[in-house]
Amino acid sequence: MSLKLFFKEIEDIEERDEGALDLLKKRLLGAAVVVLVFFTIIILRLWALQITNGKEYETRAYSNRVRVREVIAPRGHILDRKGREIVTNRPSFNVVLIQEDSRDVADVLKRLAPVLGEDVSQLWKKIREAAGTPKYLPIRLKEDIDWKTLAYLENHNQEFSGIRTEVQPVRVYPYDDLAANVLGYLGSISKKELAKVDRKIYSGGDLIGKRGLERLREKDLRGEKGKSYSEVNARGFEQQLLKSVEPLPGSELTLTLDVDLQQIAESYMVAGEKAGAVVAMEVNSGRLLAAVSAPSIHIRDFIGGISYKNWQALLENSRHPLINKIAQAAYPPGSTYKMVTALAGLATGAITEDTVLYCPGFYRFGNRTYRCWKHSGHGPVNLRKAITESCDVFFYQVGQRVGVDALAKYARKLGLGQKTGVEMEHEKSGLIPTREWKKKNRKQKWQEGETLSIAIGQGFDLVTPLQMCVMTATLANGGKVYRPQLVEKVVDPEGNVVERFQPELINEVKGMDRYFRLIRDGMEQVVQGKRGTARRVAIKGLTIAGKTGTAQVVKIAQYRHLKEDNIPYKYRDHAWFTCFAPAENPEIAVTVLVEHGLHGGSGAGPIAKAILKEYFRNRLKTEEK
Amino acid sequence: MFKVDRRLFEHFDMILMLFICMVCIMAFFNLYSASFPHRAYGIAPYIKQGYFFLMGITVFIIVLSFDYQILHSLNYPIYGITTFLLILAFFVGDSAGGAQRWINLGFFKLQPSEPAKLMLVIALASFYSRKEVVDGYSIKELIVPVALTAFPFVLILLQPDLGTALMLGIIFVSMTVFVKLRLSTYGILTTIAVGLGGFAWENLLKPYQKQRIQTFLDPEQDPMGHGYQIVQSKIAVGSGGKFGKGYLEGTQGHLHFLPERHTDFAFSVWGEEWGFAGSFVFLAFYFALLFWGLYVAMQAKDRFGVLLAFGVVMLIFWQAVINLLMILGFLPVVGIPLPLVSYGGSSLLTTIVGLGILMNVRMRRFHNVPSVD
Repeated sequence: MSLKLFFKEIEDIEERDEGALDLLKKRLLGAAVVVLVFFTIIILRLWALQITNGKEYETRAYSNRVRVREVIAPRGHILDRKGREIVTNRPSFNVVLIQEDSRDVADVLKRLAPVLGEDVSQLWKKIREAAGTPKYLPIRLKEDIDWKTLAYLENHNQEFSGIRTEVQPVRVYPYDDLAANVLGYLGSISKKELAKVDRKIYSGGDLIGKRGLERLREKDLRGEKGKSYSEVNARGFEQQLLKSVEPLPGSELTLTLDVDLQQIAESYMVAGEKAGAVVAMEVNSGRLLAAVSAPSIHIRDFIGGISYKNWQALLENSRHPLINKIAQAAYPPGSTYKMVTALAGLATGAITEDTVLYCPGFYRFGNRTYRCWKHSGHGPVNLRKAITESCDVFFYQVGQRVGVDALAKYARKLGLGQKTGVEMEHEKSGLIPTREWKKKNRKQKWQEGETLSIAIGQGFDLVTPLQMCVMTATLANGGKVYRPQLVEKVVDPEGNVVERFQPELINEVKGMDRYFRLIRDGMEQVVQGKRGTARRVAIKGLTIAGKTGTAQVVKIAQYRHLKEDNIPYKYRDHAWFTCFAPAENPEIAVTVLVEHGLHGGSGAGPIAKAILKEYFRNRLKTEEK
Repeated sequence: MFKVDRRLFEHFDMILMLFICMVCIMAFFNLYSASFPHRAYGIAPYIKQGYFFLMGITVFIIVLSFDYQILHSLNYPIYGITTFLLILAFFVGDSAGGAQRWINLGFFKLQPSEPAKLMLVIALASFYSRKEVVDGYSIKELIVPVALTAFPFVLILLQPDLGTALMLGIIFVSMTVFVKLRLSTYGILTTIAVGLGGFAWENLLKPYQKQRIQTFLDPEQDPMGHGYQIVQSKIAVGSGGKFGKGYLEGTQGHLHFLPERHTDFAFSVWGEEWGFAGSFVFLAFYFALLFWGLYVAMQAKDRFGVLLAFGVVMLIFWQAVINLLMILGFLPVVGIPLPLVSYGGSSLLTTIVGLGILMNVRMRRFHNVPSVD
């Protein structure tokens, strides 16, 4: 309307005589054009913002004012087979900085540092480490503050803009380091891990299983984070809660392990400052009852992140506490391998129950002399005596008759030389050599003499303590190779059983019951017989069958003449003892490996004995009565 | 004393009054929302602004009661008083944000740079109407108006208030170009302006002022600083969409994401709550008022009246354009209010006086209306 009148007036002026005033008024047309142009520009700009990009700005406005906060889910507990809690949680409080909410980070940090008892530079370091993450995400400045600090911060929260405390469940270990190498530990998720995982589930600063079952069972244990959506103002103060989703706790993991057995084994191995591994397994199912690796990591060092110093010490420790020696380390099996040789001999017909070989204390092969451990010799030896007294000469000859490939075939049937598939990371497969293996890997022809070493578990042979236990259980149960397992059941927070233990047969050796019985007889005499190598393991009221082993660490004979105590620790032989009980109706197989423990009977035997004593405690008591 | 002609009432422009009232009512309602929640401010801005509107009505009536020709004769006293206030602000002024801008009168904090804008309009209108040059002013003839502008310009620049100082420059340029210059004068003035601009950038601008201009060129680069304001304003207006979030429902404003939301960014609140439709209606009224102002100039009875009306329209127009372009992300944050809409007594009263002058020119557009003197 005003425009129309305006232009009408312009026309009027055009028609009039052009006086100076009218000339000036005509120039108003230019001004009107300028006003109109800017009006148009502004309207077009409004159109672009509100109509064309309105949806996008709406989203931005939403993310501006709605803060999504994660509520960390309590991680699933881990119980032993009898329901005793090995790993639980307690709430811990972390101090975090939300940069977006803090007007003056430098000032806040300066005042916060003394409250936390930290150096300002330490706090800045944490912030630099988090560089690149969005400014509304919390950066953890200090974890697990004490109640006093928490109370102070809560009372003075107005003074520390952008500083918040968040609650986070942390692990509690009622049995300290119990089974630490098997359970593993948690740590803050690394940038590398963050790149691989689902960002909907994890975010920076989250804890994630780093090793062991904590890592392998991450999915069961972690639960689901809760989320709270609150409306915030520009200063970051929450105005009102819009919506919240409660966190879903992780599932509860019940293990097959038995705290009592585990503790006994650890009292010998860990507290006794030994290095090595102990495995106890149910013969007829594959349930692991005890799984010890020594030395153990100190699980407490890992809560809230391990210090560089502690980590370096672990890496540099010559006894390798970071390696789970149950499955991640392979050792020469020594004489415990003689059962394989025996089975191969019997199964191929190279020997029978009645075969008698003579042991003069050595065996000549080619131009070399292979010694028996008993230099005076065992005299005439049959299979049973050979196992009982662990006669090397007997098995040299069996091995020579059978050949390396047949030995390997039966070793593999019993579960050696391959991964058992246990829930442990980086499991070693060990090594059971064949002619082909040597040709392929060493580019050399097999030397027949090497077969003799293999026959008594030396040379290239390498097995893990876990494999040895599986083999022992297989001998005990008459040929069933069960996968060793650690998890009895997984129960979700609502009490539903998500997963329940099922025995898993890896392999079954059929038609060899007779041979197994013969070997078991020999093993029984190892413990029960007068001349057995593990007589000291015998328990009154329980028949135990077992086999000792001594694995040479070095071949050089330079230390052979020394008294055992004088041999440097690292050159001492590894001690093996593997057994099952009761011999007449086997239930449990126990394998002990003590690094540099010298003799199987004395170095490893007592540990197995203690475990068996505990396992059969009730039955032994009633028998005593 | 008030020997007011009956014809004055007959010539009272109801259309102009309608536009003014519509804009003022919408602005006041918007300010209520922009200063929400009110307890954060002591006396809520909308209440204070309400008093200013009431004062404005009185002032408006007073301005109407004198013939605008009186401004011709009072030109230099007005100029003197205003520049005196500008100088006074340096000595007794309250500072805010590092600038000496306010003179505390007890009941009212006067910001003398606001009336200075209108004072310049009157001074230039007076000068250009007295000294009429039909074929364009030469550079020599511009010495007086340049001096009239430069004096308050420098005083305001020293406060420092870059935005308002630039406003004086824009008023000078608008009015001077309007009265027609010689071609050679354009060339010389442009050269001087470019030279002064470069000098000012190097020597006179405060770091924060440079920062604002640089930030404007790349606002997202500094989202927490000055760019933050522009980004948040764009989010507020953009999220309004077609029909807005509804009165008092804007979240950007109420949750404090919008800075200065009752002063410079008041229109962002309107845009967020009323959307494109509401913004269009508001701006239609606002620009209709400006066009009507030009129409008033068109019908003014003398050169002084034309220049006065034109100057008042340009004063409101450029402030509005700069403010709106800033809010919509086309200009850096310069601290120019949206006349009638932004909170602030000095700005509001100055604008109302300006509109009173406009109405005055309108009412006395006939030659035979007796003048006071």
